[in-house]
Amino acid sequence: MTAIVPEAIDFPAPLTRAQAGDHDAFAEIIEQHEDMVYSLAYHFFGDRSRSEELAQDVFLQLYRNLGTIESDSHLLFWLRQVTTRRCIDLARRSRLKAVPLEDVELRAVEKHADPLLDRRLKQLVEELPEVQKAVVTLRYQEDLDPSEICRIVGMPVNTVKSHLHRALQSLRRKLEKHS
Amino acid sequence: MNLDNDLKRALRRESPAPGFAGRVLERIERAEETRRKPAWWRAAAASVTLAALLGGYATHKVAEHRRGERAKEQVLAAMRIAGEKVRIAQDEVRAIGSHD
Repeated sequence: MTAIVPEAIDFPAPLTRAQAGDHDAFAEIIEQHEDMVYSLAYHFFGDRSRSEELAQDVFLQLYRNLGTIESDSHLLFWLRQVTTRRCIDLARRSRLKAVPLEDVELRAVEKHADPLLDRRLKQLVEELPEVQKAVVTLRYQEDLDPSEICRIVGMPVNTVKSHLHRALQSLRRKLEKHS
Repeated sequence: MNLDNDLKRALRRESPAPGFAGRVLERIERAEETRRKPAWWRAAAASVTLAALLGGYATHKVAEHRRGERAKEQVLAAMRIAGEKVRIAQDEVRAIGSHD
């Protein structure tokens, strides 16, 4: 007795389809990564409209460079790198002052979460120098190790560790002073 | 307090306003629309701009020239009037001299 097994349909991944000019596939890529790109910018600037604009710019740049993306993991790395570098460049160019988070919703989050502490921490992260801010955001938002962060920011791993150490020291000091 | 956990929670990912992908695609469409406009369209737009610039410059030059001409005429008229006055004064001096 033989069983008839339907032949698996090899459906190309969104990246491949987007590279072939499929806009729906590109929309899928955006939807898959928009939270990551937007949040990197939002935790950097604390300003929703600036973060939206920067995130749009990143995806526009991705669209123009789709041909150079080799794989899904390369795409993720590329988005993190371009977003982080754009944030640092923009902050350096305009020497933006950290603005208060304009609409942080003090919603009930997970158990044991302290919305006021979250808000305070976000503000303190925003006040860090650009590179420290980028390193902390990549470490805690994206859960990356210093060895991965150093490739994104283009610095030796020891420099990244030192930035992270100094940032955490500064955050601890300010939190203690505040409490 | 565990700073690592607190930071992870505070810096968790957030979502942009709904419809983000659509807004990006609209920007891409607009950018492509501009890029797709044919070369003759861009040349025509450049010609119109150039013509407007040249027209403005020419108008400015003509107005400047007219102002210069008017100023020259005023100087000549002033000189003519002054010359006439000097001639009258000379005649009067001469007349006084002949009475003596």
